[in-house]
This record gives sequence, C-alpha cells and structure tokens, in this order.
Amino acid sequence: MRVVIVEDQVLLREGLARLFADGGHEVVETLGDAGELLSAVSAFGPDLVVLDIRMPPTFTDEGARAACSLKRTHPALGVLVLSQHVETTHVAGLITVGGFGYLLKDRVLDVADFLAAADRVARGGSALDPQVVARLLGSHGPLATLSERERTVLEHMAQGLTNTGIAKRLQLSERTVEAHVRHLLMKLDLPSDEDGHRRVLAVLALLNATR
Amino acid sequence: MPALLFGLTVIAELAAIPLVWGLEPHYDTVMYAIYAVVLAGAGALIARRSVIGWLFLGFALLNAVASDLGQGWALRGLPGAPVVEWIGAISWLPSGFGWILTFVLFPDGRAGRWRPVLWVGSGGLVLATAGWAFSPALGVNFHDGHNPMVVEWLPTGPLLAVGMTLFLGALAASVVSLVLRFRQADGERRQQLKWFVFAAAIAGVGLPLSFALWFVTPAAGVIAAVSLIGLPVAAALAILRYRLFDVDVVISRTISYGLLTVLLVAAYAVTVVVLGTAFGRGSSWVTAAATLVAALAFRPLREKVQDVVDRRFNRARHDALHRMADFLEALRAGRAAPEEVRGVLREVLADPELELLVYLPESHEHVDLDGRTVAGTGSRVVVERDGQPLGTVVHSSPRAALVREVVEAGGLAIEIARLRVELRRQLAEVRASRARIVAAGDAERGRIQRDLHDGAQQRLVAIGLALRHAQHELTTDRPDRAGQTIDDAVAEVAVAIQELRALAQGIHLEGGLRPAFDDLASRTPLHVEVRAPAERYAESVEAAAYFVGCEALTNAVKHAQATTVGLTVARQNGTLVVTVTDDGIGGAAPSRGSGLTGLADRVAALGGTLRVDSVPGAGTTIIAEVPCES
Repeated sequence: MRVVIVEDQVLLREGLARLFADGGHEVVETLGDAGELLSAVSAFGPDLVVLDIRMPPTFTDEGARAACSLKRTHPALGVLVLSQHVETTHVAGLITVGGFGYLLKDRVLDVADFLAAADRVARGGSALDPQVVARLLGSHGPLATLSERERTVLEHMAQGLTNTGIAKRLQLSERTVEAHVRHLLMKLDLPSDEDGHRRVLAVLALLNATR
Repeated sequence: MPALLFGLTVIAELAAIPLVWGLEPHYDTVMYAIYAVVLAGAGALIARRSVIGWLFLGFALLNAVASDLGQGWALRGLPGAPVVEWIGAISWLPSGFGWILTFVLFPDGRAGRWRPVLWVGSGGLVLATAGWAFSPALGVNFHDGHNPMVVEWLPTGPLLAVGMTLFLGALAASVVSLVLRFRQADGERRQQLKWFVFAAAIAGVGLPLSFALWFVTPAAGVIAAVSLIGLPVAAALAILRYRLFDVDVVISRTISYGLLTVLLVAAYAVTVVVLGTAFGRGSSWVTAAATLVAALAFRPLREKVQDVVDRRFNRARHDALHRMADFLEALRAGRAAPEEVRGVLREVLADPELELLVYLPESHEHVDLDGRTVAGTGSRVVVERDGQPLGTVVHSSPRAALVREVVEAGGLAIEIARLRVELRRQLAEVRASRARIVAAGDAERGRIQRDLHDGAQQRLVAIGLALRHAQHELTTDRPDRAGQTIDDAVAEVAVAIQELRALAQGIHLEGGLRPAFDDLASRTPLHVEVRAPAERYAESVEAAAYFVGCEALTNAVKHAQATTVGLTVARQNGTLVVTVTDDGIGGAAPSRGSGLTGLADRVAALGGTLRVDSVPGAGTTIIAEVPCES
C-alpha cells in the first residue's frame, strides 16, 4: 500500500518510513507537520496516512484535527493516528468511523501487529489501541452483564480484529469465538448478522454512546 | 483697598488716643479704639468674600474719624472744633444704621424680602438725624453748651420722635430677620448664621448686664467690651472659618462653663453659709472646705452640665456621642461587628457618603473596610491611636469638630475593624500564594510529563524501531548494514540517558548546588559565571535555590537580551543567598512576569524573601534569601 507519514520528530519519522519500507510498502511522502498534508494526499493518492497527534505549532491536537478534516474530504482514505499517551477527547468523533485507527506509539515495536493494524485501517476497518478500548469499556451500563471471556472477546473486537484474528490471539477455536460473539451481541442488543468491520463499528458506537 | 481703609482707621485711632487721653475715662478711650480697630480688621479680612466686610470697614473709619478723633479734636479746642464736635455728636446714628444693614445683609449681602426694613431704617435715619442734628436740645452734649447748627424753623422734636421710632423699629426688625433667617437656614448657611446669632445673643445679654453692673464691678466694662467686639469677630469667623471651628461646640461650651461657674459659686456659697453657722464665720477651715467642695464637684458637675447643655443646644453632638457609646457597648457585648462603625458614623453625622479608610502599615495603603483602594472626596480626618495612624475618615459634614470628636470616641471600633481588614488581606494573600504554589506544582508535573513524553519516550520508540530495522536487515540481503544501524541506536540510548539525567536533576539535585548549577550553565547559551559552595543544604532549600537559578537564567535568556550572567550562591548568617545578575535591558517586574511571582511564592513558602532590582537599561539583579539553618 501507499503510505504518507506525518511526524515532527525526525528519528521517529525515518524509523516509521523504514518500518513500512521493510514491510514491503511504499512510503510516498514524509512530512514534519500537517500543513502540506491535504495537498500531499491529493498529489499522491495514498491508501493510508499515519500521523502524530501532537505536532507543531502548538503541540496539542494538530494531528487529530488534521485527521478529522482528512476523513471529511477523503472518507475512503485510511487514517492512523499515533499518540504518546491515550487522550480520547480529541478523537472521540472518529472512533465510530470506518478506516480510522488510533494507536499508542509503542505499538510500532510489535511490527507484525502494527502493520496488520495499518493494513486493516487502509482497507476501511478500524484499529483501536487496547488502552483506548479499555477506557471506552469502563465498567458500566450494558457491559456489566457480560462474562469475563465475552468481555475479552469484545475488547479485541473493538480493537478491530476479525473472529479469526481473535481466535489466534486468544488461542481459541474460531467456533468458540463465534459463539462468544453471538452471545455478547445478543446481550448488548446489537444485530448479529453483520460481518467484518461494520460489526466492530456497531460495538464502538454503543461504547462511545454509553461512555 | 481694604488694607488702606484698615490703615486709615488705625492711624485715626492712634491720633485720637493722645488727643483724648485724660479728658475722658481711660477705659472709654482704649475701649473705643479697640472696637474700631477690631471692626476694621474683621472687615478687611472678609471684604473679599462679603459686602459685610466693606460695611465694617466703612463704619469703623466713620467711628474712628467722626467720633473718636473728632471728640479729641473738639475736647482740645482745635480750629473748627464746634463743627467737628457737631459731626461727632450725630455720628452714632449712621453707626447704628450700620448694624441694621449688617443684620439684614449678613452673610452674603442679599436683603431679599427684608429689603423694606432697610428703606424704613434709611427713612428713620434721615428723619432722626435731621431732628437730632438741628435741635437746640442737642446743645447739652457740647462743651460750650449750645448746638452750632440749630435750624429754628425745623420741627425737630416731632422729627426725632418719628425718625427714632422708624429707626428703632427697623433695628428690631433687622434682628428679627437675622433670627428668622437662621431658623429657616440649613447646612453651611445655618452654621454661618449661628455664629452671628450667637454673638448677637451674647451682646443682647452682655450689654444690659454691663449697664446693670456698671457701678458695681469693673468687670462690667469687660463684659461690654467682649459683647461689642464679639459681633465683628463672630462675623469674620462665620465667613472665613465656620468649617474650622464648630460653632455648636463653642456655644455649648460657653453656656456650660457659664452655668458651671454659677453652680460652683453657689456650691461654694452654700458650703460657706452652712459650715459658717456651725463653726463660726471667717474660719479658714470653712474656706478650705468650701474650696474643696467646689474642686471636687468640678469634674462630675462639668460632665453633667455639658451633657444637659448638649441635649438642649448641641443636640447633634449629644445624640452622636450617645449613639457611638451605645454601639461600643454592643460591640463589647458581641452584638455588633466592628465594621458597623462606618454605618454608625454615617448615621450620626448624617453623611451617607462618608467613607472610613483604614491604614495598612505593611503596604502603606489606605483601603475601605472591604479591602478595596478607594479615593474618597471630601474633608479628611485622620484617626490616630497612641500616635499611630489607624485610618482616615473622608466626610462632607460641615461640622469638622463634631466629626473629630465622634471619630475619636469610636477609635476602638475603628482599630478592631482595621485589624480585621489587615487580617483578611493577609489571609487572602496566603490563600492566593498557596493556590499559586499548587498551580506551580501542577505545571511542574505537567512539564516533567511532557518532557518524558516528547523526549526520552519518543527516543526509546525510535531506538526500538531502529533495532527492528536492524533485525530486518539481518534477516534479509544486507546483514553488513545492521552493525551501523545498531551503533546509531546505541548512540541514541546515550542521548536518552543524558535527557533522563537532566530531567531528574530538575526534580532532585544529586550532587548539590554546585554541580547542578555548573551543568545548568553548560546548557545555557550565555556566558554564566557560577560561584557556589560545595556544601549541601536541606533538600527543599537546595530545590528552591536551584529553581531561582533556573528561572532567573531563563528570564535572562528569554527577556533580558543579556550576554553575561553571574550566578552566586553564598551562606550568610543562617541564610542562603542566591544572587543572579545579568547585563541585559532590565525592566523586569514581579507583577508582570508570572515567573517572578512564582519565584517569590516558592521562596516565601520557605520563609525567605525575593528582591528584584531591574532598572530599565541597567540589567537585572535577583536576590533570593532562604533561611537554611536547621
């Protein structure tokens, strides 16, 4: 896939570029801030934009705001926001949008998972950091009725994983995962016939609404 | 011009005194001279403010020349003596008319609806003068026994009778007008008129009294003199100084001391009579006992009499002092708050705009009871206690003396109110400072968090990425490049360690102030001369000193445009003194730079002080003194 990287720290920017290059992807542009981002996206037509949430000039939420406007102008484009720590306030509106990811920077060191998440986002799926999900899940509302295992499965669903991915991560058979998913969707009163990332988005919409 | 008229009067009297000396009673000579001079003097003082002054000047000169000098001239038989004597003999009529004019026109020269009195008086003056001046009966007043200006055909008897009736009627009416105008007036005008009415009342009592006692006691002459001189003096005071001296106090004091004298004399007399019948007359014991009684009775009697007189003649003072006394009683009993003293003052002085400002010695400020700085307008009365200023009462009452008295009476409440304002001020300052310290702590934590996130943490992620890249290189076709990638990563690890150490230094000084400041100096893009002892101090003291150094250096770099900075730490008498001097543009102020306020708070929290000398153009010196004796 074709990737644009926006990150103000040179070392990280180069590291990320090498990471994508090593993974066989094409890094079409790297930027130090979000100023030229829109024109770069128009010029190169990338599949994915990876951007730091805090960048010059104010180092607060430039990345989040750039992500929002990108998703408005290019709904099909995958946007992966990286952050040093979890601050959901800036991205609350994006969580339930397809083709969006929000990960802590440390996750890049787990190269295979990170690239898989990036790939998912580029294809219109979602990739939320477990910490973000944990914060969304909290311990309230309809979630209180879930069993421990169902909760774990839900957390992985919210991160954007498919049943196959969850089965692999939790060392379970796919049939078991499917059964858990069916149960928890029923408990949460969500449609169970949906598949793939639309199911994830329904879960996230519920979580975001009850937060 | 007033000075000229006054001078002429004085010269005329100075000339008259040797002329008449010995030809009439000495008392008369001196008395007339003093009267004319005082009248002219009062007139000269107030001529600029009131037409009354010109009246006084004119009639004083008339008296001096026509009566006093003229009498001397005639008594000495100098040339033209009969005519001069004739003028002197009739001059008392215009002089009397002068008082009619004064009574009607006082204090501002407007007659208003009393103008007819002046016309009647003038008519009376003309008729009476004609009937008097040209009458053969006037001859008895001349030393040769006959009037030189007799007009035979003139019906002088009826003229004088009609004229004098009109004249005396006008005089009576003018006095009535004065009293009526006084009763209807209020505010300043009332106080002015009160002075004059008071003097007129004294004259009204004093002159008949002096006539009655004339042959009894020589004091009668003094009473007459005081009565006569009192009028121009009162007029001058009323116009010039009615604010300065409170007429009500003067009146009530005069009356109460008069009453007191009568009562003490009575007590003395009763004691003498009672004891005299018992022990025999003329005993020195009786005299001593009577004196003792009078002396002992003086104080309680004075207070009682003053109170009674105040109630009648100075009601405002009486009520005000009683109200204040009641308030102080309520304050002592805990039924009133000391701050209510302002309301009491406003009430008793009938001045709703009155403002009580208390003095804060620490900041040399005057603030109101809510601690606000206000600039009241009006007269000011300074409140003192044992010579220490407590505050100021700003008022617009015309009765300054009463204000002073009431304020003095309420001094205790004002002092307590002042202490409470001071206390609240200090408390607010402590609270603000505490809030700022907490905020500074939060800001510091935020800064450390940001430093960690943006510095070491990012660097570690980058190192991780570099190692992943090396791993990738090793497993693919270019294993030779992995060594270089790992070398770069290790170099980044060294930088990360450096950053973490610098960060830790800000939290905890490992090797003391000297290495910390040396390190700080090496990271500052200015020439910094560090002089610091290797000695260690309490952690909080070292942290504050380091903080002062950091902030002062940051200021020098950011704002001062300095090239050289001196950073000195020294111990002086149990105090650690941190001095940071730069050669920059100066002009730093703690009020403007929050950094300096934060410094002051931090130092103050340890009981220290911070001083900033920063004259524009002359560099900045920041001196922090922190107690370091454990």
